[in-house]
Amino acid sequence: MGLKPATNPDVEAATIELSIDGKSVTARDGVSLYDVIAMTGKIIPAMCYHYTFDPFGSCGMCLVMQEGKKAPVRSCTAKAAAGMVIRTEGEDLFLARKKAVEKHLSVHPLDCPVCDADGHCELQDMAFQHGVTNLANAKQKFIPEDTRSPVLDFNMNRCIACAECINVCKDVLMIDALQFMKKGGFNQVVAKGDLALDCEFCGDCLAVCPVGAITNKFSKYLYKPWQMRKTTTTCNYCGDGCQLYLETKDEEVVRVTSPLSWKNKWGDRSETAKGHGGICVRGRFGFEYLDSKSRLTQPLVREGNRLVQKPWLETMHQLVDRVTEIKDKYGADAIGGLVTARCTNEELYLFQKLMRTGFGTNQLDSSARYGHMNFVLASKQAVGLGRMPNDWEDLTKAKAIILFGTNITETNPLTAVRIKEAIRVYKAQVMTFDSAITNIAKLASHPLLIKPGTEGAVIDGLVKATIDQDLVDEGAVGKHPQALEALKSAVEDVSLERLAAQTGLPVEAFREVAAIFAESTRSIILCGEGIVRRTNGYQNVLKLMDLAWITGKLGRAGCGVNTVTEEPNEQGAVDMGAAPEFLPGQARFDDPAVRDRFSKAWEASLPPVGSGARLIEILKRSKSGQIKALYILGENPLATLPASMEVRAALERLELLVVQDPFLTETGKLAHFVLPACTYAEKDGTFTNLEGRVLRVRQAMDPLGESLPDWHIMTAFANAMGCRWEYQSANDVQAEIMKLLPGYYNLGQPRKVVPVPDQYLSNDFAAGVKARYQQRPPSGEHTRPFSLSMGQLLVHSGKLSTQAPGLIKIAPNTEKLRMNIRDMERLGLQDGAKVRLTSDRGSLQLGVQPDQSVAPGTCFFPEHFNEPPVKDLMPVSVDATTGVPSFKQIWVSIEQA
Amino acid sequence: MSVAALTKKILQAALFYEIVDAMKVTFRHMLHRPMTFQYPREQRTIPDTHRGALGLLRYDDGRERCVGCDLCEAACPSHCIKVISAEDPARPLQRYASEFYIDITKCVFCGYCVEACPVNALAMTKMYEYSTHDKRSLLFDKQRLYDIGERHLDDGKKYLYAHNQEKNVEQSREYRYYFPQSVQKSTQPPPKHLS
Repeated sequence: MGLKPATNPDVEAATIELSIDGKSVTARDGVSLYDVIAMTGKIIPAMCYHYTFDPFGSCGMCLVMQEGKKAPVRSCTAKAAAGMVIRTEGEDLFLARKKAVEKHLSVHPLDCPVCDADGHCELQDMAFQHGVTNLANAKQKFIPEDTRSPVLDFNMNRCIACAECINVCKDVLMIDALQFMKKGGFNQVVAKGDLALDCEFCGDCLAVCPVGAITNKFSKYLYKPWQMRKTTTTCNYCGDGCQLYLETKDEEVVRVTSPLSWKNKWGDRSETAKGHGGICVRGRFGFEYLDSKSRLTQPLVREGNRLVQKPWLETMHQLVDRVTEIKDKYGADAIGGLVTARCTNEELYLFQKLMRTGFGTNQLDSSARYGHMNFVLASKQAVGLGRMPNDWEDLTKAKAIILFGTNITETNPLTAVRIKEAIRVYKAQVMTFDSAITNIAKLASHPLLIKPGTEGAVIDGLVKATIDQDLVDEGAVGKHPQALEALKSAVEDVSLERLAAQTGLPVEAFREVAAIFAESTRSIILCGEGIVRRTNGYQNVLKLMDLAWITGKLGRAGCGVNTVTEEPNEQGAVDMGAAPEFLPGQARFDDPAVRDRFSKAWEASLPPVGSGARLIEILKRSKSGQIKALYILGENPLATLPASMEVRAALERLELLVVQDPFLTETGKLAHFVLPACTYAEKDGTFTNLEGRVLRVRQAMDPLGESLPDWHIMTAFANAMGCRWEYQSANDVQAEIMKLLPGYYNLGQPRKVVPVPDQYLSNDFAAGVKARYQQRPPSGEHTRPFSLSMGQLLVHSGKLSTQAPGLIKIAPNTEKLRMNIRDMERLGLQDGAKVRLTSDRGSLQLGVQPDQSVAPGTCFFPEHFNEPPVKDLMPVSVDATTGVPSFKQIWVSIEQA
Repeated sequence: MSVAALTKKILQAALFYEIVDAMKVTFRHMLHRPMTFQYPREQRTIPDTHRGALGLLRYDDGRERCVGCDLCEAACPSHCIKVISAEDPARPLQRYASEFYIDITKCVFCGYCVEACPVNALAMTKMYEYSTHDKRSLLFDKQRLYDIGERHLDDGKKYLYAHNQEKNVEQSREYRYYFPQSVQKSTQPPPKHLS
């Protein structure tokens, strides 16, 4: 709530009493008068007000009469005080507000018919409400339109200088890319320094603009708001699970809008702790792939070297014959399946059910295996909980946040906004450990740059520093003295000085971070791709659990060890049992009681324990010829995994490769059958986001061409294989999941969970802890000078976003290696110069470009692009416990070519 | 029935009174000028306010008036108009209708679309003869509408004048919207009152 938000969520503000229109109202002290009036249900017009940031007070519409003052006062910038007598209605106020509208309109072009905001414009509404028909002294600005940005056009003729765009950018998103500038006699909104807009392109400025001054380039002039159908659905780019509105006209998606908009400007500021309603560049501008021309619209069947379009019925007949033939000939163990975590929960559930009961195999895996599984399995092992314990609200209200190896503003931009709010509103101390200069590090209180690949060593150091400084929480460790002893003896020979040399941090940094983390009341650890997608991910998450445990943060409200997910439904994939070790509900596959329950519910016997295979094992078995048929649903292992995995050889050896995808992917081109699937806009279902919140996905348009939703294809497939599935819609699948996993959907709210480490601490802890803190000789043996890492860009997500022309326009594949400018100077390289990049796995030639976010001694290439095939330089190491392949970092040498 | 009435009836029947009466009307009209006129061969003079087929108009220099604002579509009570708007590829930052359809079979000739048009691009003409064997050809597309507008330009202008939509002077037919220039390059000549 406006003006003075509580910096400490535990302390309630004092209560005051005032009179509004003759009624006595109680409110919290220090709150804007406007908010108090809005709270009573009265709506006073205001064009520059939005609850997510502090009142600005430029529009002059929110006028009220205060007793004792001659002129009306602006209620937004006035603080509510005890004993105020306020009148909000009356002829005089109406006329004063009308005058304000006239003032804005007199310099506003009356080009409503050609304006994109026509029908969705606050100034238009106000002019109508106040009956403005005549304008004396109207004046036109004739300002040229700023079209330099690839995403947004700024037509400053229409601007009413409400500064909502500037405020949301500065206050809520902390990007600060816009400013006022006086040009040609008018105050105009321009990008910083009057250059072309170059920011994160989240488009929240577009969302809050009450007029048509900021317009979306991708849907410019294509619509009028009343022509479109608005569908509330969930974004399918990352694990944040943002709600968005897909606006469709006939069969095309015209634009995407967010719940954050000038239309819903009344709210409680404290509510933003659960999310401010905005979306990021991917969600807002990455919609064009939905109705893209390159979508598959017909099933394809291989005939010789070509893929030929065939009708569905014929394709399915042939397909089922082939599968049955293989199953009869080689048995169920010759079939495997991979699924993407971009599918809905219902589809993931059906996928594992189809694999287990339809084909009788447990050789299935999802793309959660690329990293999230490390966290899930470690967390399950330590605290019996296969997901994040904290939600966005906990994150916002945390006092200390450690970010481990996560470029969170790029991978999960809206979770990053929560951390920004923690910094801004709740004054949290944020400590980042990363080998890149991330955007969140620029805002953090302790931005700590570490040497590449030393995340594990940093955690060692933090645990050691905590024990050394006696920051151990007696209450938490008291119950498990022998576990603490084991930990103490394990870290005994850890030397902070040596770790400092290894990680590139001062010893003091370990001590300070450990102290801040241990002494804060609400401390949160968030680990990202630098932990879960790298070697020893599982062990490193366990170490983080140790750190949280000894400081007493495990199980305490508002504290915990968390992660972020790259794909929208990685959590759902684990929860739905799309992994060989889990049945739905994260029940262990080898638990006899659970097996019994599910085989009864599914009226089928489950594949035997021990026959399962995980992602890498499935590919290995395909290559060795053990797996003959592979059903790949939305996955693209050929374009994801490095060449050393020999995915192509594995897929080519298969007797039957079925790929089900909205696009013809690299993997699809090798397939014998390609089934056209729908995107999330064409089907119903749910996603489980990283908080564990189950979010609805709603159908916004009819399936393109002859493509079908995945659940539909799988149901048909299963019935042809002899199962008797009677699902008519995704709702029927949902009903079955509800029966088997009561409380899973939980009305879309995150279920409150409490991590319980007692079981683990008293049993398995002591056995594993010694090996965890085993000091490896520092990995300085590498002979190559640069660390090459591959990761995500803000604008892209996996390979999917490269199908969206808008996102490609914002961030095309530059085919260049990103390097630190100082390294480039040292090597005598110009922007665009060709270099030869050599790793132990091979070498290739490509251009270089400077990048401010790349630390000296490192270089970066986005993982979304395989041109040039930088991923093939990567070695793959597979985690022994979790089977997670890590292939995102390697040491390379760079020479001028 | 009285005796007198009966006698009169018998007399009239004997003297073929009805026929004489009817022939009287016939002979009287033989001397009049005909009231009807022979439609396809003779054409009626139509008032300027007549609501006939819709046409799209151009400015005097040949530019399309329509800016694709979709307001006619919104105003149409019978939902017979469909406008697809876009940014003009030839002139960046300017809105135009890339496609424009009027299903004239559905049109009720209320004239609301003309009234809604902010640039007076739509006008009703005096053309009403478009009967055809194929109903599908009555879905007028943009090309056809501009053809009608061109052929019946004077009618269209007279219609707008008669309905107080446009003054019958050259000045009122100048461009209604000055789209802003791009900061990057000049996309249209500057408006007259600025240059």
